[in-house]
Amino acid sequence: MVLKLDLDGTVHTITILARRPHLVLSVDGRRHVVEGLDEVGDGSRALTLDGGPVAFARAGSADGAIIRLDGRSFALRRVDAAAEASAAGGGANVVRAPMPGTVVVVHKRVGDSVQRGETIVTIESMKLQMKLDAPRDGEIAEIAAREGEGFDKDAVLARLAAPAEG
Amino acid sequence: MMTAPDDTQPFRKVLIANRGEIACRIIRTLREMGIASVAIHHPVEARARHVREADETVEISGETPVAAHLDSGQIIAAARAVGADAIHPGYGFLSENARFACAVSEAGLTFIGPDADTIALMGDKISARQFAADHGVPVAPSVMPTEDLAEFTRQATEIGFPLLIKAAAGGGGKGMSIVRSAEELEGAARLAASEAQRYFGDGRVYAELFVERPRHIEVQVFGDGKGSAIHLFERECSVQRRFQKIIEEAPAANLPAALRDEICASAVRLAAASNYRNAGTVEYILGADGRFFFLEMNTRLQVEHPVTEMIIGLDLVRMQIEIAAGSDLPITQDAVAANGHAIECRICAEDPERDFLPETGTILHLDAPQAAYLRFENALDRGQRVTADFDPMLAKLVAHGPDRAVATERAIAALHELALLGIKTNIDYLARVLGHPAFAAGELHTGFVVQHKAELTAGEPDEATRDTVLIAAALGLRDFRDLILGVPEPHASIGHWRN
Amino acid sequence: MSRLQSSINTTSADFRRNEAHNRRLVAEFKAKQEAARHGRPQRDLDRLARQQKMPQRKRIEMLLDPGTPFLELSSLAANMAYGGESPSASSIVGIGMVSGREVMIRADDPTVKGGAWYPLTVKKIVRALDIAMENRLPVVHLCDSAGGFLQLQSELFPDRYMGGRIFRNQSMLSKMGVKQLALVFGHCTAGGAYIPGLSDYSVIVRGTGAVFLGGPPLVKAATGEDVTVEELGGAEMHTSVSGTCDYPADSEEHAIEIGRDIVSQWDRLPRWEAQREAPEEPFYDPAEIYGIVPDDIKKAFDMREIIARIVDGSRFHEYKPNYGTTLVCGFANIWGFKVGILANNGVLFNDSSIKGAHFIELCNQNNTPLVFLQNITGYMVGREYERRGITKDGAKMIMAQSCSRVPKFTVMCNGSFGAGNYGMCGRAFDGRFLFSWPNHQIGVMGGDQAANTLAEVKANQMKRNGGAVDKGEIDKLWDETRKAYQEQLSAYYSTSELWDDGIIDPLDTRNALGVAISASLNAPLGPPGYGVFRF
Repeated sequence: MVLKLDLDGTVHTITILARRPHLVLSVDGRRHVVEGLDEVGDGSRALTLDGGPVAFARAGSADGAIIRLDGRSFALRRVDAAAEASAAGGGANVVRAPMPGTVVVVHKRVGDSVQRGETIVTIESMKLQMKLDAPRDGEIAEIAAREGEGFDKDAVLARLAAPAEG
Repeated sequence: MMTAPDDTQPFRKVLIANRGEIACRIIRTLREMGIASVAIHHPVEARARHVREADETVEISGETPVAAHLDSGQIIAAARAVGADAIHPGYGFLSENARFACAVSEAGLTFIGPDADTIALMGDKISARQFAADHGVPVAPSVMPTEDLAEFTRQATEIGFPLLIKAAAGGGGKGMSIVRSAEELEGAARLAASEAQRYFGDGRVYAELFVERPRHIEVQVFGDGKGSAIHLFERECSVQRRFQKIIEEAPAANLPAALRDEICASAVRLAAASNYRNAGTVEYILGADGRFFFLEMNTRLQVEHPVTEMIIGLDLVRMQIEIAAGSDLPITQDAVAANGHAIECRICAEDPERDFLPETGTILHLDAPQAAYLRFENALDRGQRVTADFDPMLAKLVAHGPDRAVATERAIAALHELALLGIKTNIDYLARVLGHPAFAAGELHTGFVVQHKAELTAGEPDEATRDTVLIAAALGLRDFRDLILGVPEPHASIGHWRN
Repeated sequence: MSRLQSSINTTSADFRRNEAHNRRLVAEFKAKQEAARHGRPQRDLDRLARQQKMPQRKRIEMLLDPGTPFLELSSLAANMAYGGESPSASSIVGIGMVSGREVMIRADDPTVKGGAWYPLTVKKIVRALDIAMENRLPVVHLCDSAGGFLQLQSELFPDRYMGGRIFRNQSMLSKMGVKQLALVFGHCTAGGAYIPGLSDYSVIVRGTGAVFLGGPPLVKAATGEDVTVEELGGAEMHTSVSGTCDYPADSEEHAIEIGRDIVSQWDRLPRWEAQREAPEEPFYDPAEIYGIVPDDIKKAFDMREIIARIVDGSRFHEYKPNYGTTLVCGFANIWGFKVGILANNGVLFNDSSIKGAHFIELCNQNNTPLVFLQNITGYMVGREYERRGITKDGAKMIMAQSCSRVPKFTVMCNGSFGAGNYGMCGRAFDGRFLFSWPNHQIGVMGGDQAANTLAEVKANQMKRNGGAVDKGEIDKLWDETRKAYQEQLSAYYSTSELWDDGIIDPLDTRNALGVAISASLNAPLGPPGYGVFRF
């Protein structure tokens, strides 16, 4: 298991090499000895890295952290496998109706490119409106939903184009 | 703590028609003076610092938070409802609104600021300029708008070069050009006139002396409203981005004493001539040749007032309140003495790498350095959302030192130490500006930021820095910590091993 | 506890000769292991890459917590079977740490005949699940198998410990509350389909993962129905329609991430509190083991020298040091865990057997796990010893050892011959783990003795038939017997047949025992009690 963090558009890989007697981490293959782990959390912090003291401030954000070190702030974003897979065209190809209902709004058209989480259609079912989102990044290959029309449970409302063979 | 009202207090209760750091700043002085403070707030800022720190609060409504803060009727009604006897407008919002000042007086309340007439006079660029010129304050020589190109050329040549030529009705740089010699003048005037006609349907052209690499110098003045006025020395605000100040200092760097005296004296002259009451600031453009010209007068407390406070040791807000209550000037000009140097950095939610565009976000962590020579003027809270509702200025960091070099060094160190995380800010950028050799040399002008753009851009962090940052980030991630700490013995001790 | 005093001379000719010999054996072992792990025809590797599948070992590395050990079991299973076409018995089994929890990892090997199960594959899987049950270790299955290898179905399907046992064990594990997670990376066909089916949790990778009792060709043949893999048993169908799998994953990495997250939800069942101290490296260099173990199985050596290179700080509290000296007994710590060690320093006599039985009882009283270091030629034979009751004294040791409630671990350090194997917790005695060194040999007797015995019988037969003893024929018989016997005595044959849990480099003994002891603590101790000891 490795941790991937994006810093200024570059993904870096961090993993644990050893825990005893000191924590040893690898950052992109470079070895670093860490002491004073108990002190690390959000706020103004200090630890010993490769034998030298390091002071920094840290704030955890929703998908990563912000670090202030030596008068500079750095925003780091975590890269998880689902996001990587989505960017590479992984993920479901179809948007299915979770329950029977009617189509309220079709937000996208065939040929539109969408990002994971973007709403493709809004449906209404049991007096409840819900948005159906793109399961991955990709291009809309088919929209079966027509505004105002009804559908059954598990009906395919939209389909993404299969990722190009790589 | 509030003390019981007595006759020595200028007011019993003051409503602050503002928010953020300036509201907190005013509350501080009110508290010291034993005067009750009233904060106003739109529902979106109900939990803001200024609301918590004030003795009383009143909610105001409006379609947007800014609209609420500009709703003078509602604010005056609030002041009356809570029994305030004065309103301090801070800066921005209604602070230079003559009708507001007038309405406050008409409501039987004291407006802590100049008279409405003075605000109106100085609020109009043309009248202010004329008033200044009439009272011996230098204004940039210019040619009045005309369609007569021959007359235009004659007058322009008289002023000298370089000249800035533009459409009288214009804007957006259309038909604007800089002319450096008489030979270029006629062609440029013709072009400006035709473009002015084409774009604005108004062929009049206008010219004024173009000050190259201008410095922004301003003088803090106080008047008693009875013709007496003093200055509290000048401030330099030349470092600007998008026409807004980001670094201010007092006194100005490398300003010859005679020139300083001349500038300050002209500001006092203007204040005295207008029977100026309360605090004001006269702004000038200063050319490399030592010529200076009136720009405008701000009839309010300035954002950068702390740099003046730090060198002269007076509380400008207290002076404002006392003068508004009818007191005389608390100090004579001879007694005003400057001590050392102060530098203010405006910390803004913006991205210096993307043309200083405003940023939004949530303040996740705030840790400001503390020292006797530092002021961190802010109204920030951890968890606070920074939205596009208000100005992107988050706080001001002010450092004082015995001289400019020490003040600069202290400001840089404080910026380095200041941790304000969760939103992009210009903190690191400001430190780079202060650390630039041209800043140290005092080679300032309003184009500083553009001139030094390349050197002021953040460099790539080195590998050691990057690794440290990545480790610091990783170690705080909960599941990565679990990964480190959650491995039981003997596996943790055995470590990586394959058989 | 005092430190053992080593009397090894590392500069002696014996030491150097032994060292060269043992290093050669270990190099040979590692070469075989490397071939079993990575030696695959290029076309199989290419196919894997084309399917955008990671090799199983890479998946396992991603699944494990970084910077933690992985104890692989039976890496050379089936190395002497099926003409070598089922390396590691087409499967990977081992114990490691996932999201801070000790788990058994079991993976199919899709690079060999589509991950088909050979008879020894089934045996290895059943053993893995037995270990999981005995030690209450949660199991993570990395599924990618075509199902049973049909050509050998009679050897893998019908009997008690064959195919069905896998699913029986899965069911029992679940009943015991021991979690199982199946990560479906490839096809789970026929019997293989029940692995995710009987797991408590299952994740399936979109595009490559599929689960069905019969694949599309079988369906076509059986019912004439034309159906695609995706429709028949793909991720979308199983996670949204059939409910056979729980979580769809967008990539193999994603499946592993989901899997790690699932494991992190599992409760940590209480481990019994074994006595444990802070670990300490052995004082003596473990690499010296190579120079201590002789180059000839018939040469004796002092097992204390081995103990000194396995246990914490080389400290050993020897029990009854003056009595029954051919069996060294005593307490030590391995990776901090208190253990009782029984190690052979010669043939077992009456006194050494009784001492062993007594020491085992002490360890059971004291909740101290037992470690057996075998180098045994058997119990002493001969009139004198039979008269003294060597059989009943040996029986005492076997009884005490069999009925032990504390976990037992056996390391085959050298020879394991005759009934000594029983007393010293051989494979039949349900030790939690049994590891062999590459120099290990096992049999009812040694190769020479077996050849001698058979030659003796043959010669007697010839004499009985009235003929002369044909020296040439006897010699030929002797040679053939010894050769065949010798092959089956070897550690490689042993491990091929899964008579152990794997050959290990002697230098890995300490770590292997550390992980094994730790795993054993997950299961509660059984009730105390023995059968009838014969006095």
